[in-house]
Amino acid sequence: MFPTDTKFLVVDDFATMRKIIKKVLNELGYTNVEEADDGKTALPMIQSAHDAGQPYGFIISDWNMPGMQGIDLLKACKADPRFKSVPFMLVTAESEQKHILEAAKAGVSDYVVKPFNSATLKGKMERVWAKHNPSAQPKAS
Amino acid sequence: MSAAPKTEALNPLFDKRLINAFVDGVIKTLKTMAQTDASPGKPFIEPQFVLKGEIAGMVGMVAPPLKGTLLISYGKDSIFHVLENMLGEKHTEINGEVSDAVGELTNMIYGSAKTTLNQLGYNFEMAIPTVISGDFKITHADKGATLVIPFNLTNGSTFYVEITVQ
Repeated sequence: MFPTDTKFLVVDDFATMRKIIKKVLNELGYTNVEEADDGKTALPMIQSAHDAGQPYGFIISDWNMPGMQGIDLLKACKADPRFKSVPFMLVTAESEQKHILEAAKAGVSDYVVKPFNSATLKGKMERVWAKHNPSAQPKAS
Repeated sequence: MSAAPKTEALNPLFDKRLINAFVDGVIKTLKTMAQTDASPGKPFIEPQFVLKGEIAGMVGMVAPPLKGTLLISYGKDSIFHVLENMLGEKHTEINGEVSDAVGELTNMIYGSAKTTLNQLGYNFEMAIPTVISGDFKITHADKGATLVIPFNLTNGSTFYVEITVQ
């Protein structure tokens, strides 16, 4: 699983959802959590955190936001070699096949459909960790 | 082949599957996000808008050729109960945080219902909700009827899901 000093960026236009995700992350031991209210605000934060040598280790974003949507933020990150490999999870009310396929095609690490509970978010994070760190998989006994 | 409902021939407010999609969306959202049980009451048709609470989340529903509105109205007792369960926060007045939570709840309930309805052949699009509070009045341009579904919470309070489709 991601180390507890991992730096998170939570992007959602609703403070309530940012609060819920932050609460779950805190319960899991993650306290380095920053917030943005849409993709337009998040992108410069991702760039400046990288430039300052303190890049985000995990981005969790809503899909449906004014300004810049989560899918466009994902595409922008994947198009930039600096942020390409940063784990990116979409948390969204969009659960239709066409949206899941679009996100998968854009390179999303995983996808959480709202409404969700903390166990679901934790499970998805473990999957993302395994995907991004295949060599860290526990060996079968 | 698509199994799209013949919407031109059927008023969607009489489509039981539409009602069920919203009922299931409400129950699932509140249970998952706020560990709150919501029991649906008997739906009824309302010819004219009647104010049912102090705050409401509203979203424009578009599924060409259909257009409609989803309004979820809460009194203070119902929304404060949900928020306490969802965020562990006690609220005593309608403020920005309460409005934000009503918006997100509307978003999740609509998203959940929309997924079910689109699997049935409707083609509802995603939209960003608006929150209104205070002494508001809603006038629908088509003067169409509204389907109202009451939901009862365990603290004895009620909130209302109101669907208008043109």
